[in-house]
Parts: sequence; structure tokens; C-alpha cells
Amino acid sequence: MVDGLIAKSLNEALEALDNKEYQIVAGGTDMLIQNRSHSGMNIDYKKDVLYINLIDELDFIKVDEKNLYIGANTRLETILESKLVPQILRDVVIEMASPGIRHTATLAGNIGNASPAGDSLVVLYLLDCELEIKSLTKTRKVLLKDFITGVRKIALNKNELITKLIIPKINLTDCYFHKVGPRLSDAISKLSFACGYSVENSIIKDLRVAFGAVYVTVVRSREVEGKFIGQSVNDLKANLDDIINAYEPLIKPIDDQRSNRVYRKNVAINLLREFIENIKED
Amino acid sequence: MPKIEFKLNDKLVTVHSTANRRLLDVLREDFNLTGPKEGCGEGECGACAVLLNHKIVNSCCTPLANVDGQEIVTIEGFSKTKRYQIIKDAFAEMGGVQCGFCTPGMVIATESLLNKNPHPNDEEIRIALSGNLCRCTGYNMIIKSIQKAAKDGDGIW
Amino acid sequence: MKDISKSINKVDNEEKISGSAEYIADIKMDGMLYAMTLRSSIVKGEIIKISYPKIPDNYYVIDHKDVQGKNIVKIIYDDMPIFTTKKISYLHEPIALVIGPEKEKIVEILDSIEIKYKEEEPQFEWEDSVVDFHFDKGEGERVFDHADKVISYDYETGYQEQAYIETQGFIGYQDGDKTTLIGSIQCPYYVKNALIQALDSEPENVRVIQSTVGGAFGGKEEFPSLIGCQLAVAVKKIKKPIQLIYEREEDMLVTTKRHPAKIHFDAAIKENKIKGIKAHVGIDGGATIGLSGVVLSRAMLACSGAYTIDNLDITGDVYKTNTVPNGAFRGFGAPQMMFAIEMFVEHIAKDLNIDPLEFRKSILAKQNDHTSTNGVYRDPILMPEMIEKAMKESDYLRKKKAYANPNIFKGIGMSFFFHGCGFTGSGEKKIIKARVRLRKHKNNKAEILIAAVDMGQGVKTTFRKLVANILEIDIENVIFNNPDTDYVPDSGPTVASRTMMIVGGLVARAAKEMKQRWREDEFVVEKQYKQPDYIKYDEENFIGDAYPAYSWGVNVVEVEVSKTTYQVKLVKTWSVYDGGKAIDEKVVLGQADGGLAQGVGYGYLEVMNHKQGKIQQKNMTDYIIPTAKDMPDMETYLYDNPYAFGPYGAKGVGELTLVGGAPAVAKAIENAINKRIYKIPVTPEYIMELINNAKN
Repeated sequence: MVDGLIAKSLNEALEALDNKEYQIVAGGTDMLIQNRSHSGMNIDYKKDVLYINLIDELDFIKVDEKNLYIGANTRLETILESKLVPQILRDVVIEMASPGIRHTATLAGNIGNASPAGDSLVVLYLLDCELEIKSLTKTRKVLLKDFITGVRKIALNKNELITKLIIPKINLTDCYFHKVGPRLSDAISKLSFACGYSVENSIIKDLRVAFGAVYVTVVRSREVEGKFIGQSVNDLKANLDDIINAYEPLIKPIDDQRSNRVYRKNVAINLLREFIENIKED
Repeated sequence: MPKIEFKLNDKLVTVHSTANRRLLDVLREDFNLTGPKEGCGEGECGACAVLLNHKIVNSCCTPLANVDGQEIVTIEGFSKTKRYQIIKDAFAEMGGVQCGFCTPGMVIATESLLNKNPHPNDEEIRIALSGNLCRCTGYNMIIKSIQKAAKDGDGIW
Repeated sequence: MKDISKSINKVDNEEKISGSAEYIADIKMDGMLYAMTLRSSIVKGEIIKISYPKIPDNYYVIDHKDVQGKNIVKIIYDDMPIFTTKKISYLHEPIALVIGPEKEKIVEILDSIEIKYKEEEPQFEWEDSVVDFHFDKGEGERVFDHADKVISYDYETGYQEQAYIETQGFIGYQDGDKTTLIGSIQCPYYVKNALIQALDSEPENVRVIQSTVGGAFGGKEEFPSLIGCQLAVAVKKIKKPIQLIYEREEDMLVTTKRHPAKIHFDAAIKENKIKGIKAHVGIDGGATIGLSGVVLSRAMLACSGAYTIDNLDITGDVYKTNTVPNGAFRGFGAPQMMFAIEMFVEHIAKDLNIDPLEFRKSILAKQNDHTSTNGVYRDPILMPEMIEKAMKESDYLRKKKAYANPNIFKGIGMSFFFHGCGFTGSGEKKIIKARVRLRKHKNNKAEILIAAVDMGQGVKTTFRKLVANILEIDIENVIFNNPDTDYVPDSGPTVASRTMMIVGGLVARAAKEMKQRWREDEFVVEKQYKQPDYIKYDEENFIGDAYPAYSWGVNVVEVEVSKTTYQVKLVKTWSVYDGGKAIDEKVVLGQADGGLAQGVGYGYLEVMNHKQGKIQQKNMTDYIIPTAKDMPDMETYLYDNPYAFGPYGAKGVGELTLVGGAPAVAKAIENAINKRIYKIPVTPEYIMELINNAKN
């Protein structure tokens, strides 16, 4: 039978991780389902478990002039209620999880789980989220997009723990998240979409688009965005077909029990089109 | 054996077992609290809902480890409160109960909502119930029950 | 006299809200063992050899060799084994139960059992017909000889899962020669009769008790007989209490579902009128027939919907495929047909360039018209005023016109429908022969002894209220415990919208007699069902009155469709029902809300399919039922239209409220996207296809 260790402080957790390899469990809302056995039986973890949900020092939301910092243990509900958090992130939280899940689940848990259908990742990619990762001896920072390497694959050493999310403050004219689920709440997405832009003097200064569940990881292309930044709003709209053509090859969804590739692709492009068409000059 | 202590329905309790268990199993088997039900076993239906530090959680996807030192209230504990009486009367009056399997979870969701937002609008109620599935009622009368509870319990939350 | 419909609070509110009601999983017995099911991992073929590991003490494997009686689940056809002997005809077919005190060990045993199979090519095409029916009305097919033209369309409906929130389960125990099962069931006597055959026991040695039922919707009609037999065989052999409770995944993968259907229609048109309809209904029975034949006949009987069509030629087949057996689900064949006929009549009107609403109103069934089987609609039909009411409350005409604008993507749809109350044909008279008992206790209490199950639909409340009203005593003085076959007579299964109309009718008669004799100390009144003399039905040829009475309804559904994502949002619903007379208004309104939620869910949301015989949606995450966010505000109006043989005039309402949901939401989506809909569920994927490719 595998062990379960409850860490109450960061140091305790890091020391444990330094000692041996653990399955890290935060809120547990995904991990318990992924490791289910049967009613009344122990959770069927494949290795020893380190529970980090009770480490209070990782439960915080802070800001400075440059960034917003969200502790790894900050519950989704706290994020939803915080005025410090950008609206788009609060929107994704309310769309992605029911209250029962929001009260225990965390963004860091979502990131650690790296599900291709994880809605929060789409927005975190859009916002250029960075992670602080600690081991007993070292603290490092990594961009979320470099941290997630594939379906349920992350670049985390076995002695490391995600300790905080760092979200740069950016000034967007508008940004939003659109979840396309099989129903209006509490369901895994067929696909999801996040976008944002800023305009100054009718010129596009920033343009960001991210798609979820249309590829093994979130799709966001700095390269494509860069091509259109600097254009006037009118030119951008006139170039709508070019934008669509640029994204088209990046959107490679699959068929599964939730939806099919044709729908996912079609809707991803519709959402992109709708976003571009609705960009406003100042 | 690890020892996990928490407050359960106002009493301090200790569980001597692995932390790798679902809170739902601990409640139903170790404490014979069968008000929380297993409907789906994966956080989708809310029949297993309990209050963790006064907020709704799904006990089927809460590890026992995560309640160490925390406070859990199940429907059995909550049913001793004045708030429960108001919610119960409202559900009874407005037809919010059919087969009853989702009902304890619905009551917990109602308490969690009203505790935070004593005067919710229709949309807020629907969002608050979005993790509690009911197959019998179409939710219409449950929504009306909660509206009534909020009204009748004005000042209590 | 006060109006019986005036609502009271349900009698089981207290225990259900407080969480103290005992559902099957809440019951624990001393020394109770757990059972889990060994299942086939192939879809079709034969078992060559099963190698079991060494089974430790106090652990057991129970299979077909342990069946003391007949290894067949008593339903209608003798085609479902309790445990397979060796033939496998669907994926996850039950082979054995593994039983013991620790689940961990049971799982270990299950994991180490090796089974060698000889695989065969499975059949998924609808080719192998195992039940076929045909009937004509009027001129039948000959009416096509003098038609101006023929309009033909095909319609398709998918699986639907009952998705009761409480999964299937039983606990069984042995006491001397007596085998007792407690379970989450709709039909205590179905289970009891199946057990008698399986155990080869005397009736007095089999007892079935209903625990509180956490939703059923047809899913706990015949399926529990299968697992009840399995468990009883084990209990009788092992002689210890055993629990067999399905977890969600097992429940989703192996229990019966609503039959997928394909319906082909031809209409003979003359002078812009429907002169006759020819239809073929095919349903997928899955690997065993079960109740499929009865489901098929109800679908066929509903072929003219709420309309009167003089000439009909209706055929139907149940196809056997190597998929999970399908079975009872609220509506029982009618939802498939009601969707198809409602769309077909609408599409005919559009093809003829006639306003569909006027066209439909012009052919509505009226009192004394002939039913699809040449029976007679004897009672008044209030549809014209009910439609009027639904249209007024929903502002139907204005919205319909405004939403014709193809750019606004809003729609409103209205369905007309009926449901035949009670068993189809002479089932009540010939098969069920319902008996009810009412006992007067010394303390001036009356006890209702019937096998009807409260599965959320309020039977405990409405029956106690009914009896209290007739006896003019307080409802507290009327006793109604969960049915226990040792104490209650066989009043029939809790199905087919028959409970209040048929069983309630008998209970009311018993109560009236009891009222006369109330001064006596202690006595029992028993009543048995007698079919009204005028009801005649020829089962073989589908001629006559298939049902003693009909309930009627109108649903209006308003939707918005997203141009970008093709998702459907329900805006509001309005419904009008004639269920005869509500014994309790709130209870009926609750049925109305819940039935419509399942009906519209069936129409636009609930996707279930199989891939090579494997159900793809194996949990509540993948199988999508509506949440509180998906369901809109629902408005319902009830019309009184008392039926002479129902208590206070009550007819059936349980199923009625489901059957109109799918066509109403499909029509609303049609209105919103200006494209014709031929199948349900109308998913965003299908809407996209229609918008991009289909004709208007």
C-alpha cells in the first residue's frame, strides 16, 4: 500500500520531495478521479502521495507594479472573488468548475495535471503566465508554455514543487474567454478560446489568441500574433482571411466521445473570426 | 498508522487510517453518516456534497488528507441548525424534493450559497447549483425553494 | 367539498431532506459480503475456458452452474440468461459474481481470472429482426394508389440513458428456506416472479422489499430482475447477506437504455391533405429482446401523434444487435415516434406550402375519432383550447414571425402529443390482473397494501391523500410503507403511467367500500382490476382500444442558437397538460418539470452512442444531462378533464410530460436556423452540418 504524507509547510513538502518521489496532490478533484478504484476502497495511487493542500503559506494573491502572484494553494474560489485578479481569469474559473470543485481545486493543480481540455491553461497561456518552482535548494522560474510539454506531461523534476503563478500585468483594450462545452456549465470543454488585444491610435499594439482542446497542448503562436501587431485595425480586419489561414494549420483537433474534429476546427475558426471582426478602433 | 483529526458536525474526531481515502467513504463507513450519497464518484453530481470550512465540496473527490485539522459538516450536522429548518421548509413547500437522492447535496449547496450571498438572484442560484445534478425536477422547483429560503431566512444568513 | 388537487407537502420530505431516508447503499447488515460482476471482454463469441485463481476461504464465485432453477431472467422472452453459459452476445455480458468480505480481494480475484474466448464477427447493422409487427387502418397501403403525390422522410433518434442519480443495487439475505432481497426497484413482483423461476423456490420462500428509490425512469423496471436473480442465486447458496451495488461506470455501460430508432414515413397526399401514412419503425433491441417488442408496439401505436389519420399501414421491427440490451425508459417507444411524427407533419406542411400550425390544427384528433388501431377516443379532447392557452402564454405567433428572420438565430417550437395511459392492449386484463388491499386497523388507521413504488413521483403522498380524502380522515391516519411482497398483493409494476389511474382507481374503490364499513373494528378490503366492458382489443391484429384512456399535452420551447458555436440555449418553456385530474397539483407540476427536462434533454443535449458495441459515455462527465444552468424557467398549466374510471378522474401523467419535449425543442431549433431537422439529439455538431450544407 502506498503512503500518504500531509505537508503543512512548504519546507516540510520540499524536504519530503528531496527524499523520494511522490505523487503530488493539491485539491484532489482531478487526482482522485484519475486514481479511482471502487467505492469504499482506498484511492488507487501508483506511488506515495504528498498532500500539499494544507500548506497555508502557499495560499495567497499579491500584486506589485509588474506582476500578479497567485500561490499554488490558492483555491479557485479565492481567485474568483479577488478584485486583484484580471476579469478574464475570474471568468474562466466560474466557467470551468462548479462551486464544490472551486472550493478545493487550485490553478497549480490544473497546471500539474496538464490536461489538454483544461480551460484555465488557455487563459494562463494568453496572459503569459510564468511559474515559480522550488526545490529544497533551488528556486527557478519557467514560462507555462515551456513547462507543459504534452498531454499530461510537465517539466517538473521529482524534487520540485510549483509554488506560485506569476502573471504579468498587461494593459489590454479588451480580452475574453469563451468556453465551448457540451452544456452551459460544469462540463469538460469540447474546445475553448481566449483572446485579447490593445489598440492605440487605431494601431494594433498587442494581439493574443489561444485555443484549448484543439491540439495536445494549448495553441498560442507568438509568431502569428507578431505578423499582425502593428497593423491598423482596418488592415487587420481586411486581412481576416490571412489570419485564419495562419492559424488553420495549428488547429489539429481530434474526434472523441465529446465532439468531432470538424466541429472543433470550424468553431475555433468562427471564434477567431468573431474576435477579429469585433475589434474596435480605440 | 497515520492519525487524522478534524471537526465533524461540531465534534472533534480522529481517524486512524491511511490518508489515501475519499472523505465520502470515511463519512459513510467510519461514522455511518449516510446523508452524503455516492451518485457518480467523480465530482459531477454533487450528491456527496458536504461543507468544508462552511463551503460546499464534493466528498467523493476530497482526500481524507485534506480535511486534517479542518471542519466538516454533513447534512446530519447541518440538520440541527435553524438555517436548515428554513431551507427544509422551503424545499417541502415549493416541491423541491422528488426521489430525494440529490436533496441533501442540494441543501448543502443552498447553505453554501446563502452563507456567502443571502439574497441571490435567479442566475446566481443556478450557478450555485451547477455542480448538483437532479434528474427528477428539472430544477424549476428547487430554484423556487431556494428563492423562498432566502426570503424566509432574511437576516439569518 | 375541497378540491383534491390542492397541494399538500409530500409525506417523505422530512426524511429525504435530512438525509435520513435509507437508500439501498445506506443499509448495512452484519457480516455482509460484497459482490462484483465478472464480465465478458469480447462482444460476440464463446467462452472456451475460464481459469480461476485459488479462491480463498469466505470468497465465492457464483455462475450459471449455481442457478438452481431456470437460468433465464423471467421477462417476456426466454432469451436473457442470468449468467451466460458460454455464449457471449454483448460486451460486458455477466459471467459470474465474485463475492467476499473485502472489496480489495474481490478486485484482485477478478483481475487474475483468465478467460479464453472464441471470437465471432459481431452484428451491429439493423438486419436481424427478432420481432415484427404490422397493422393497417382504413384502406391501408391502397390509399397510395390514388394519391396526387407521396412525401417521404426518414427520422432518427439516439440512445438515452435514464441517469437516475442513485445507481442500481440490491442487498440479499437468507433466512432458513427464505431468500429476501431489498432493492432499488420499480416492480417488486417482477423481481419476485423472476426469483421464483431462478431459484426454483416456492413463492412463500421468496421475498422482495423496496428500499427508498433514488430515481428510476424505467431503468429499474426490468433490469433489476437480472441482477436480482444473480444475487439471489448467490444468497441462497452462500446463506450470508450480500450487497450488489453498481458504481456509475458499470451502471452506464451495462444497464438498459432507450432504444435508438429509425422511422421511415411515406404520406399519400391528395388535394394538399394527408390521406394516409405508411410507416416503418425500426428499433435497436440490443443483444436480448427483453421488453423491446412492447416498446415497439407503443411506438407504432403512437404513429399518428395527436392527429387523426384515416388510412395507415404501419410496420415495425426489433433488431437484434451485439450491443447492450435496451429496455424501458419513461415514454416507452412513444418519445421516438412522437418526435418523428411531429417533424413529419411539419415537413409535409412546409413541402405543401401550407402554414404548418394551421395544417396541424386542421387534423387534430377529436372526441369519437378513431385511434391508429380503430379504437375510439371516447373522452373529450381539449387540445384546441390547450393550444390556444400555450400560444397565448408564450406569445407564440409574434415570436414565430419575428424569429423567421434568418439573422437573429432565435426560435420557438410547439409540439402536440398524447400518451396512452396504462399497459398497452389487454395487458392489464390478461397479464397484470392488479389486486390491491386496504386494511382497517383497530386504531382507526387505514393501511394501503399495494406494490406501487414511490421513486420520487410522489406515490406515497398521493395515495395517502387519496385514501384520506375518501375516508375523510387525516392523512396521518393512512399508512403506506414501502412495498414488501410478504405483505402487499401484486398490484402490478410501477410503470406505464398506470399507477394512479389503474392502481389508484382500485384503491379508491376499496376506500369507498371501507368508508361504508368504517364502524367495523378490523377488516381488509380487496379489489381486483376489471377492464371497462367497452374496451376491446385484438392483440394479434392491433385492432381496437389499445388504451383505456389518453392524456394530452402541448409543449412550447423557446431557444437561442449561437451563430459562432451552434450551441443551443433554452430560453423558456410553456406547457399545458390534460392528465384528467391532478390528485395533487404540486406533484403533477413536479412531474411536468422533470419530464420536460428529460424530454428536451433527449431532443438537444443527451448524446450516447456505441463504438463496436462499447458505450462511449461511461460516466456522468461524458453523458451530459442538463444542469440548473441549462434548464430555463418552466411554466405549466393543468387542465381538468376527468376520466370516469380514474380516481377523481385522474389519468396518467408520468410519461406524458416527457414525450413532447424533443419535438418542441427540435422545432424551435428549426425555427432558429431555418433548416430542417431529421434526427435527435440536435447537437451543435449536427446544427453546424445543417447550417453549412442542408436545404431549408
